[in-house]
Amino acid sequence: MSTLSLPNDASATVDWPGRYYHIDQILNTPGPRTDPAFLAGDGVKGFLRNEAKILVIGAGGLGCEILANLALTGFKDIHVIDMDTIDISNLNRQFLFRPKDVGQPKATVAAEFIMKRVPGVKVTPYFGKIQDKDDDYYMQFNLVICGLDSVEARRWMNATLVNLVDPENPESLKPMIDGGTEGFKGQARVILPTITSCYECSLDMLNKPTAFPICTIANTPRLPEHCIEWASVLEWPRVHGDKKMDTDDPEHIGWLYKVAAARAQDFKIEGVTWSLTQGVVKNIIPAIASTNAIIAAACCNEAFKIATSSAAYLNNYFMLIGTDGVYSYTFEHERRLDCPVCGGEALEIVIAPDFTVEQMIEMLVEKQDIQIKKPSLSTPTKQIYLQAPPQLEEATRPNLEKKVSELVPPGGEITVTASTLPFSLSLRVTYSL
Amino acid sequence: MAGPDIDAATTTIVAEAPPDSKTRRYDRQLRLWAASGQNALESSRLLVISGTATSTSVLKNLVLPGIGHFTILDPAKVTPEDAGNNFFLEGPSSIGKFRAEEAVRLLGELNDGVEGKADLRSLEEVLEKDKDWLTEFTIVIAHNLEAGLLERLSALLWEDESFPPLVVVRSAGFLAEFYIQFHEHAVIESHSETASSLRIDKPFPALLDYSASLDFENMDVTDHGHIPYVYILVRVLEEWKKSHNGNPPSSYDEKKEFKKIIVGMKKKIDEENFDEAEAQAYRCWTSSTVPSEIRALFQDPKVKSLTPKSAPFFHLVAALAKFTEEQPPNTLPLTSTLPDMKASTNSYISLQKLYKARAEEEKTLFKSYLTVPVDDATIDAFVKNAHALKLLRGKRWGALDKNPSALVAAVESAPKQLSIHLSLSALSSLSTKQQPNAPLTVTVEALVAEAQALLPAGTDLPENFAEAVGEIVRAPTADLPNTAALLGGMVAQEVIKMITKQYIPIDGSCLIDLIETWTGVF
Repeated sequence: MSTLSLPNDASATVDWPGRYYHIDQILNTPGPRTDPAFLAGDGVKGFLRNEAKILVIGAGGLGCEILANLALTGFKDIHVIDMDTIDISNLNRQFLFRPKDVGQPKATVAAEFIMKRVPGVKVTPYFGKIQDKDDDYYMQFNLVICGLDSVEARRWMNATLVNLVDPENPESLKPMIDGGTEGFKGQARVILPTITSCYECSLDMLNKPTAFPICTIANTPRLPEHCIEWASVLEWPRVHGDKKMDTDDPEHIGWLYKVAAARAQDFKIEGVTWSLTQGVVKNIIPAIASTNAIIAAACCNEAFKIATSSAAYLNNYFMLIGTDGVYSYTFEHERRLDCPVCGGEALEIVIAPDFTVEQMIEMLVEKQDIQIKKPSLSTPTKQIYLQAPPQLEEATRPNLEKKVSELVPPGGEITVTASTLPFSLSLRVTYSL
Repeated sequence: MAGPDIDAATTTIVAEAPPDSKTRRYDRQLRLWAASGQNALESSRLLVISGTATSTSVLKNLVLPGIGHFTILDPAKVTPEDAGNNFFLEGPSSIGKFRAEEAVRLLGELNDGVEGKADLRSLEEVLEKDKDWLTEFTIVIAHNLEAGLLERLSALLWEDESFPPLVVVRSAGFLAEFYIQFHEHAVIESHSETASSLRIDKPFPALLDYSASLDFENMDVTDHGHIPYVYILVRVLEEWKKSHNGNPPSSYDEKKEFKKIIVGMKKKIDEENFDEAEAQAYRCWTSSTVPSEIRALFQDPKVKSLTPKSAPFFHLVAALAKFTEEQPPNTLPLTSTLPDMKASTNSYISLQKLYKARAEEEKTLFKSYLTVPVDDATIDAFVKNAHALKLLRGKRWGALDKNPSALVAAVESAPKQLSIHLSLSALSSLSTKQQPNAPLTVTVEALVAEAQALLPAGTDLPENFAEAVGEIVRAPTADLPNTAALLGGMVAQEVIKMITKQYIPIDGSCLIDLIETWTGVF
């Protein structure tokens, strides 16, 4: 047995004999379905253990599992980004955290735990946003695995990796493996930017978030949720002015709960509870260790297969439903030629000639395959409406009431941008008769 | 089998106050299985045989949500190979220590509320000297158990219906299988996504009367735009029936005409409640009857031969059978769960009250058919889920292998599933034949011979068999971290469903191929 050295010393040789007995059965021999290009033996082991550099986005429910799996599989240079700190409600599944860690950054605690538990693995944490990092940063990795709970962050990461692709430089193509879970359900997929369907291509597969019309909330509440929305959307700003609502602050939740419960009582609506209040205002998605384990394992298995070529990787989507038995579906999600991120073709839209700019913005926010919050619109020659900076917003605001047909000729292009997305969307507008 | 003790409930969700720290810790899972599921988990006692990477992965996902107790039965000491692939060992520093003790210690750190115990006896010893002990657990899980021992264990646990279910887990490299051996599993809270019927086609008197009393013509315009669609549909259907010999619309043209009537009632173009009524019109010609799956339950032998000692589930089903037979309109009892719909607060709340009052009446009637006392919470849950009850009847581990016609059928109908199952079985029988301490020699030829022997004479191996068996030869003893983690998640998920009696566990074997990232059941 070799001697132990500091766990965060990447050059340390702590590979005791037998350490990779299990993994090496795969890496020593090809299987019947292995690609002939697979070079069994020391070469592939060397790449995996000494060269491969992998980035994990998220150190939460999926992230904790992903980090542990990667470390045991033999990846030794792992980076992890997460902007969150640990909350007590994470402890039912985020198994690298303990009660004493509550309040600490997830990325840092997770990295330390892995390095302590799996000798010789170096995990470099970054406590912050993915948007803080530039292309050079992302260029250094061979692979990216995402364990995120936000659509916005996935779109950003996906678009960034698609933009990174330089046809002249094969190294610039970074496979992105994306996992997601909700209760007993989940999915894992492999995205080869510019080659396979990307995250943006499949945006219309997402469930539409439940949104309650403001008139229902204000005038005709029927469900406990309507009362809670009334408290958080209308009453909070009315009573507290500019003071920001913090959904992690029990006092704020307590206030919302009381206000919602009082309204429910006025309207004889039953079912407003503390737990429901918290669930609605934080948009809580149920989460358990087992589903995260399944999806993270599927993601890491793809990372291992891609990094080693020891077996074919997933083409390209795995969906799991565990509520009634074990149902899974593996299929190839098709690319969208008019995908704003990887497609290149402008998206054709047909609108009525009297459609206003404001209506068009509303449509862009609502449309299932677009979903752009706060879009800014321009044509190649003029600005139609800009959300920021304030001076330009003010200058373009009068256009909101104008008809699109007054500003854009039939067949003309509109470029849509949003500060949250690192890409722009081209629309080709035609008018219905 | 230690059943869930509802009286020992510790997790209660208090509506008014901020949750306590335990409820906060379990918040994300309580939203899936509520306090009742949590109590069942906390009362459970699990036995896991062997402390492999797969075993500890399963346990991790059960300790985190808070099972009551687990025991790892394993006499082995940690080898350098174990230390490399098991997250619940501390690398080289665990080598030479007892694997069960190390794993229990490190799994215990995940949750203070869970009791863990290492038992250093061998399964062989327990089967010989202390087999009753095995039957005292809620569920027993065994990973890659030697075929002879597995046979003895599964036979023992099958002896009596009250003995714990056995989860058999097998894996090699990228391939895996798991199976739950149980006699019977009844689920009330199946969390079905199908909603129960609103019974618009068979309206109860108060609903019919109120719908008939509405003066659509002379109503205030605002009120008219806020009539819940339920009233609209009941009213239009009743009038339709009067002119159609009491029948609902049946042909395509009739349905179209029916929808036209609804749309024609609008006073303003943007009355969304009438749009909703049009969209929901199918409820008028979808007859509210007892679903065939529930009807089949009524014929279950245990329902037919009910005794005072029968489990409450069968008493409830028997009462349901009588209720639906004798009480008009011969449907399942009404539930008070109403979907949201365009309506004013008052009209919606009063509709909700009508449904609630009627649901209470029907529940009281339903209760009168019960011949043994059943607690109210169970009755409430039963009535609410009467349309989605589930009764699974399991088989003994190995039943498929002893059923020649099922095997022959599976060659055609589930070749991928059968290939993985057969190649893992072939590996298992081959290992049993070799010397216990000699290194395992596995060849394609030897496995093919074993697999062929498992099939009825003259049956061809399934078409994907070569692919499966080739992977087994490549990695016959590999407990890969990713395979272990995936199995850990899937097995734990099924165990949670078994313990909580919520959601529906697998019925049969689940096969996993992590090359194609594929799962199948058969």
